[in-house]
Amino acid sequence: MALDIVKLGFSLAGILIMLLLPPYLDGIARRVKARLQYRRGPPLMQTWYDLQKLFALPSVRPTKSALFTWAPYIALASAISAALLLPYGNVVPVDFGFNLVVFFYVILMVSVALMFAGLSVQNAFSHLGSAREMQIVLTVEPLIAVLYGVLAYNAGSLNIADIIANLHATPSVILTYILLAYALYVESGFVPFDIAEAEQEVIGGPLTEYSGRLLGVFYYAIHIKRFTLLWFFVSLLTLPWLGPIGTPGRAALALALQFILTVSFYPVIAALEATNARLRIDQVVKMNTRAFFAGIIILAMAFMGW
Amino acid sequence: MVGTKDLEAHFEFECKACEDGRCSKADVESILAERKGLKDFYEAFKEHIRECKRMTYGQYMFVIDREVLPEAVLWWHNHPKFKETHMSTAVGTDERPLNGHFAYMPFLNVQVEPFKMDENYWVFLKVYTPADDPSFPSVAAKLPAALWIEREVKDLLGFKPVGHPDPRRLILPEDFPDGVYPLRKDMDYRHSPITEPRTEYRETPEGTTLVPMGPVHAGVEEPAHFRLFVKGEKIVDVDYRGFYSHRGIEKTGEGRLTYNQVLFLAERICGICGYQHSVSYAMAVERLADVEIPDRARYIRTLLLELERIHNHLLWVGIAAHLVGYDTGFMHAWRIREPVMWLVERLTGNRKQYGMNIVGGVRRDLLDYRKEEVLKVVKEIREGTKKFLDIALNTNTFIKRAEGVGILPYKVAKAYSVLGPTARASGRKIDARLDQATKTAMAYHEVDFKVPVYKEGDVLARVLVRMDELFESLWIVEQLIDQMPDGDIFTPIGNLPEYQEALGFTEAHRGEVVHYVMTGEKNKVYRWKVRAPTYNNLPAVPEMLKGYHVADAPIIIASIDPCYSCTERVQFVDVETGKVKVLTEAEFNELSIKYKGVF
Repeated sequence: MALDIVKLGFSLAGILIMLLLPPYLDGIARRVKARLQYRRGPPLMQTWYDLQKLFALPSVRPTKSALFTWAPYIALASAISAALLLPYGNVVPVDFGFNLVVFFYVILMVSVALMFAGLSVQNAFSHLGSAREMQIVLTVEPLIAVLYGVLAYNAGSLNIADIIANLHATPSVILTYILLAYALYVESGFVPFDIAEAEQEVIGGPLTEYSGRLLGVFYYAIHIKRFTLLWFFVSLLTLPWLGPIGTPGRAALALALQFILTVSFYPVIAALEATNARLRIDQVVKMNTRAFFAGIIILAMAFMGW
Repeated sequence: MVGTKDLEAHFEFECKACEDGRCSKADVESILAERKGLKDFYEAFKEHIRECKRMTYGQYMFVIDREVLPEAVLWWHNHPKFKETHMSTAVGTDERPLNGHFAYMPFLNVQVEPFKMDENYWVFLKVYTPADDPSFPSVAAKLPAALWIEREVKDLLGFKPVGHPDPRRLILPEDFPDGVYPLRKDMDYRHSPITEPRTEYRETPEGTTLVPMGPVHAGVEEPAHFRLFVKGEKIVDVDYRGFYSHRGIEKTGEGRLTYNQVLFLAERICGICGYQHSVSYAMAVERLADVEIPDRARYIRTLLLELERIHNHLLWVGIAAHLVGYDTGFMHAWRIREPVMWLVERLTGNRKQYGMNIVGGVRRDLLDYRKEEVLKVVKEIREGTKKFLDIALNTNTFIKRAEGVGILPYKVAKAYSVLGPTARASGRKIDARLDQATKTAMAYHEVDFKVPVYKEGDVLARVLVRMDELFESLWIVEQLIDQMPDGDIFTPIGNLPEYQEALGFTEAHRGEVVHYVMTGEKNKVYRWKVRAPTYNNLPAVPEMLKGYHVADAPIIIASIDPCYSCTERVQFVDVETGKVKVLTEAEFNELSIKYKGVF
């Protein structure tokens, strides 16, 4: 039974990280951006304070549609379930058959919830935002699917833990990492890809009509989604190359590495955000399409065994 | 029809001297010989010209028959040799107490040669209409530059532009009662708003959806209502409704305040280009009083005008960056800008609304030891801006959003009389600092600077024009400090001649600002007309928006550097109750007496 306690412990640590860390990561990003702009910046807790305040406020409901109320919770549930499918140390809290496919869909559900939330109200800006979100999803998801395909083919499995265990370095995998970094960055909706929620253009897009608790839940879901995508990337980057992780000690080391890398990637993302302007949707669609074709070539390379 | 005889009867002003060219008895031949083009115009419209005179240096007025008004305006605007001539705006005046007529007067900035202030001049085309039929053939039907001003005189004075393509309300609110015209001298103040407000929006074209940008929108700093008709994300057509910050400043200035009090009101027209308005107004009155203001005062004015331009351009480029999501650019631009604000606070006592001007000079001298400080700040700004531009113009995503977006072709710019950096980015060679005789109030003719002109006409060109201009302004400031003459800073004005007209103008950061002043009795202002550059630039924005993305709309709108409060000067609406409340003449007089001597 000792092993089970270790597994439980790692799962618990994972759940704690996944629930508590994301707003802090945003806090780091805000601080880094502020420093790049020669500002002092808010405390690291600021995003938590913001969420706390939003959770305490009632929401204005401009529509009777139940979707409007449910969408934030669906988004949050999806983001959390996605995070549970990832390895923390060597433990995947929810581990089954081909959970890479499930991961793909559950992450997608956050965007879908956001899209439907925007469409559930009568507001031109919400609709525009939803339409943009849809265009981004429609162009970036095929790319991600292809890249997952490369990984799955390379490792011979659709299970995230198996993929991590069996991945071997080939040129196609290295190229996949590069494209995956791009694709996940786009999917996370950081500047210059925050087009759907562009404040100055569509005043928040799908979030336009949201306020109070519901808005807070949406924000929380989005933070967790961003964390999840980054954690996934970091896991792919580190775990396959650490060798067999048998003992709890090595697993703890792996978890620490994941944690440190995630936290240290965030300032890089923040710096990218701070030094870019927002792109326009047609420009992003064009970029994504190009990346998709590059992805296809990589897939072909993978099939050839490179 | 107004006959010549009717007019002559009312033009027996005690003019200072006929040689001055200011009165109807002056020698027409010699006046017309002063500048190129005047004679040709006189020959072309001989039968319809009732009077011609020189109002002041470089400002000529023709009183013409109203039937030929469009032809006369177009004759100048489309002059084959004077390419950059444009219709600046127009003034409507209720002159019934004087001569029983309404007067409508478009005026043009005639550019014989760009940047030669002693050759170019202003032409005023005045039309008298009988009191019972204030109609005139619409110029706007043929020249879009007149679209707004004709709607304005229709709203405020009850004129009828016959054949106007878009005769909806422009300035007055939707619930303003019919038949009440605020700028008429016999305006009855007791009217209440009508209970059922009438909105006059354009129908949404078939197959498009409406995206309402405004009246309050995160991408537009002040209230303005752009109704974008879109297909998907593409803008097909645009309807504009603005004038939500209409304050009735012109009416306030007329007849009640003294000419020096109006000056301080003028400075409060705008929070950014306040000093430009104040100088323009002062210049107009100084022209009327025919005084020469001391050199030192001219230099101090020019210095402050340029410092204002510097901080405005930095402010603008920051906002432009913010609107495309480039917040780092925004923060840095404003950080670089801040020392200018501190500097002018040192020089004048205020960050904005300097309160430095007075008709006839300036109120505070520039202390000599402050010169060092000015030079230090200029150096700082130059270095900071260079670094900033180096980074911003190398930010791929920023360029991608600005390049090829919101293109305004030269022809459209000219047809709408677009002004300032917006016009210069579209290839128009205009700059009121050098184009017209600013030498009576400012010192631009004594310093050396270039006027940057770009041909692309897109948002990026507007950014570059402004940034080039910024460096020129820094250079001007350095020269001014270097050449600053000694002497007085103020000339007393004395009494103003009655019922005389003149124009004051400066090149504000957004384009040419004009203040038309007609004096009344006892040193009061009979008619004061302000035209901020945004008034000419904004009608062209729908043209820039068509065919681009909704995402581009904020940056395109901002690219003209719109200033709504400047544009929407002219009626009091009590915001709290929503009732139209206008101070009575007695209340106004009380206010004037109460604050007498304060200014």
